[in-house]
Amino acid sequence: MTFKELIKKIFFIEIIGGLALTLKHSLSPAVTRQYPEKRITPPPGARGLHALTRNESTGEAVCVGCGLCAAMCPTNCISIYTSEGEDHKKIVDRYEVNTLRCLFCALCVEACPYGAVLLTPHFEYSGYSRSEFIYTKDRLLENWDKYMGGAKSREYFDKFWTPKSADFARVDAKGSESGVNQ
Amino acid sequence: MITLTINGKEIRLDKPVTVLKAAQQAGIKIPTLCNHELLKPFGGCRLCVVEVERMPKLMTSCTLMAADGMVVRTESDTIADVRRAILEFLLINHPLDCPVCDKAGECELQDAVMQYGPPTGRFIEEKRKVRESHDDPILARNMERCIVCTRCVRMCEDVQGASAISMIERGGRTVMEPFSSRSFNCEYCGNCITACPVGSILSRLYMHSYRPWQMDKEVETICGYCGVGCSFVAQVRDESIKRVIPRIGFGMNNGLLCSKGRFGYGFIEDSGRLKTPLIRKGDALVESTWDDALDLVAEKLTEIKDSYGGRAIGGIASARCTNEDNYVFQKFMRVACGTNNIDSISRTGYAAAQKYFEGLLGQGINANIIGGIKRSDMVLVLGGDPASVNPVLGLSIRAAAKAGAEVAVIGHAPGLERYKTINVLPPLFKEADILEALLLEVFRARGNRGESHAIDRAVSEFDKEYSGKTDMHGLEELKDKLLKSDSISIVFGMDLVQRTDGHRALFATAGLTHLLEARLYLLSERPNEQGVIDAGCVPDMLPGGRPLGIPDFRRRYEDAWKRPIPDTEGMTLMEMIEGAKKGDMKALYIMGDNPVFNLPDRTFIKESLASLDFLVVQDIFLTETAELADVVLPALGWPEKSGTYTNLERRIQLLRKTVETTSGMDDWSIISRLSCRMGYDMLYTDAENVMDEISRVSPLYRNLSYKEISDKECLWPYNGEPLRGEAKDIKVIKEKSRDYDADLYLALDKPLFHSGSISQRSPGLMDISPEPRLKIGTRLAEKMCLKDGDNVIISADRGSISIRVSIDPCVNGKVVLMSNNFKEKGALGIMGYNLDPVTKAPGIEGCAVTLRRG
Ligand code: SF4
Ligand code: SF4
Ligand code: SF4
Ligand code: SF4
Ligand code: SF4
Ligand code: FES
Repeated sequence: MTFKELIKKIFFIEIIGGLALTLKHSLSPAVTRQYPEKRITPPPGARGLHALTRNESTGEAVCVGCGLCAAMCPTNCISIYTSEGEDHKKIVDRYEVNTLRCLFCALCVEACPYGAVLLTPHFEYSGYSRSEFIYTKDRLLENWDKYMGGAKSREYFDKFWTPKSADFARVDAKGSESGVNQ
Repeated sequence: MITLTINGKEIRLDKPVTVLKAAQQAGIKIPTLCNHELLKPFGGCRLCVVEVERMPKLMTSCTLMAADGMVVRTESDTIADVRRAILEFLLINHPLDCPVCDKAGECELQDAVMQYGPPTGRFIEEKRKVRESHDDPILARNMERCIVCTRCVRMCEDVQGASAISMIERGGRTVMEPFSSRSFNCEYCGNCITACPVGSILSRLYMHSYRPWQMDKEVETICGYCGVGCSFVAQVRDESIKRVIPRIGFGMNNGLLCSKGRFGYGFIEDSGRLKTPLIRKGDALVESTWDDALDLVAEKLTEIKDSYGGRAIGGIASARCTNEDNYVFQKFMRVACGTNNIDSISRTGYAAAQKYFEGLLGQGINANIIGGIKRSDMVLVLGGDPASVNPVLGLSIRAAAKAGAEVAVIGHAPGLERYKTINVLPPLFKEADILEALLLEVFRARGNRGESHAIDRAVSEFDKEYSGKTDMHGLEELKDKLLKSDSISIVFGMDLVQRTDGHRALFATAGLTHLLEARLYLLSERPNEQGVIDAGCVPDMLPGGRPLGIPDFRRRYEDAWKRPIPDTEGMTLMEMIEGAKKGDMKALYIMGDNPVFNLPDRTFIKESLASLDFLVVQDIFLTETAELADVVLPALGWPEKSGTYTNLERRIQLLRKTVETTSGMDDWSIISRLSCRMGYDMLYTDAENVMDEISRVSPLYRNLSYKEISDKECLWPYNGEPLRGEAKDIKVIKEKSRDYDADLYLALDKPLFHSGSISQRSPGLMDISPEPRLKIGTRLAEKMCLKDGDNVIISADRGSISIRVSIDPCVNGKVVLMSNNFKEKGALGIMGYNLDPVTKAPGIEGCAVTLRRG
């Protein structure tokens, strides 16, 4: 132990330094938000509740049921059931996300060639039963309407959705065309 | 020995193969597109190029034979550049609609592009536009995705031998098209689906409803439609079979299937499946519980056994049930019911033929592997069309023909029309005459193989007594060819057994097999016809082919089962049914079959079954027979149960439970529960447990376990001891063959797309062949001014049926052909029968009919 250390020990220099910091912070304004009394707007790109993109011109989901999102999902929380529809097109009968299992990694969003599934910034959802957290295709489309539609989605795709595939460029969230089916 | 170096690795080859195969053997992967293991090298796509030292240009490894001292590199910058360029060219005309293409995830083009390809193409010109075709009932065709590898065409032509499709147009517009342009109208084997590396040919059965990675499970199992027993992998999602795919190198079908195997699994989801036991209350069958139903059956059978003895009870087993089911069934009949009256519908064909051949030629005479057909230099086909009864076996005959073998057909075999080299057309229903004449010609030319064998003596005897003439038209050439060939396969179909003098054809065929040292193959319409016999569901044999009449064998089984076995032989199938009519037979237990539909003379069979005191039917559907029953017990279909089947080459194969269901119970399980209620305990836990007992008691399968069956090929004689011994009395009843002078006869047709009546419940097969047709010859059609599709009424003395005709130039002018598959329109129903005195099989030939427009 050197002389300098000895002095520090005797006069509680370190502890005084620590207490000074505490004192300084206890006098400065608090950063803790009093949720739910006080709420924040999540920054753009925040990863919350899922939504399925709605093609605004047709009103239908952009999703074609390729199953890549579900294949990518590390927790296996997306299940997709497809079948042959009119004109022999592929249609998505069921698209379900079990949000209780989701870890909001957004790998599904990255996997989708059409920007058809995404995570909205909305994170405040609760319920009384497990089944309420299994989001069906209709509820996921509602999520889009509520939390994502319009200019917000364009900003989202421009900033956070990369790399853009050639297909995506054709789809565009404004949705004049809908994917490969055309 | 060839030694070459690939990627610095030294590889030694025993036989000359291509560089691609050599690399594959050494575990080096070379990307390919136009190459397919079942097809000959083609060298069209150039993706498999490699660098070979001292060769100036890149070489296609799929066509280049490996040579000694070659130094090969499979990956380099130049090679990668070339592969990228090839793929970029392919993508010029490819729609890149992977997200909605059913092939994505198992597409060879996708995989190649992922490894080498450019992420984007440089071509901005229009791609070719071709409408996706859904004109066919089950094959969808998307020619925008076609990469012109011609694998489908080569598969259809070289392997399937159907030649139904071809490449059309030129250059960038080249696509594949069926000859009939819109629908495929082919054999619907679906092998072109397997061949296509991309999503150009797809099955419509499961269109857009799956992704290869979405399956919950994959089960390696076997097809339960016919006696070939092809292996395949059933892919299941949510306890529903999505599709079945054959795999190369797996099973003796090696990557091939026929229409029934590939598209016929849908029946298990039919809405008509029986779900609960039914008990007759007056005229109606009402739902009941398992306990009530089993109690009732046990009570009734005990009552009948006590008052009339075991001989008043009979059992009909099923060649669609497993060995385990059939073994438990016969044990139940023999010891719990005290009767040897056990038989199956196979008596009308396979069982009768098999017994006759084994009696004459020794056990195991029909245990020949199907692969042997390809290696023979002559194939003699008689009594049916292998290409429709056992389609995948038929492919071996076609392959033999392609390899230069002679294919001789006696009678008609439309599926071999383009492959036969000799065709002998006997007069109507007189194949036996021809065969006898042929036997004598061969005998006179070659003589006996040795006097020691009973058959040798019988043939000499027969030669002395023969009174017919042997110089029949067309026989000379056939005889010469037969005598010249070293390796002959005889493929014997069951049409010849269903004759009142069926034993004559059997005797002649047995003689030919013996004299020519030929391999004998018996065509088998149902998956387990051999197994039913080996499991002991025959009136005169115990399991393992042990004659019941020999006390030693009986004692062995009595010791094992701890109960006496009656010592008199039981009744055969038709004898039981006739006994029911006479009143000797009081109760019948029918497991998994439908005699009302599958036996000739429907009215008679119905009346016979109706005169029984008690009828139990165990089935998966409410069949015509089940409708007459006092108790109906729901069982399981083959994709729902575990067990083993023995195929026509006597190979034992595992059937694995593919989907779970709550509809019924395993056949063996129902019977063992019943047996416990009748005072004879059978406490099996599962099918494997039953097999353990079989391999303990049956001398045919020593210590055979499921593990052994699944790990290696399980071929005759397994580890067992077949019974050696020769026939004592060879019965050939020398009767003059009948004359057939009516204007028109009805004969049974065995269609390619249907089998029994379960295929009627499979949407895939019904899409291909939705309704029964009466096949008539061109002459008759002209005479009656009938067009394809016109309705006629066909009348025999046992009834008439209204049906549409289809004109088939191959059909003999004096017969019309009709199948026995479609409800209410089964040919057998209106045909009468006479029992063959030797084989006890019902002869159905010579059913005179009249035809009128209707
Ligand atoms: S965010 Fe991640 S965990 Fe959640 S659904 Fe998507 S891939 Fe699955
Ligand atoms: S990846 Fe996109 S298009 Fe494909 S299923 Fe998922 S959401 Fe739909
Ligand atoms: S299904 Fe079979 S017969 Fe028909 S085109 Fe394809 S390979 Fe040929
Ligand atoms: S349809 Fe398929 S198998 Fe046939 S040529 Fe085209 S890509 Fe090849
Ligand atoms: S040949 Fe027989 S076993 Fe093979 S797939 Fe066809 S029906 Fe099934
Ligand atoms: S795989 Fe060799 S050229 Fe196509």
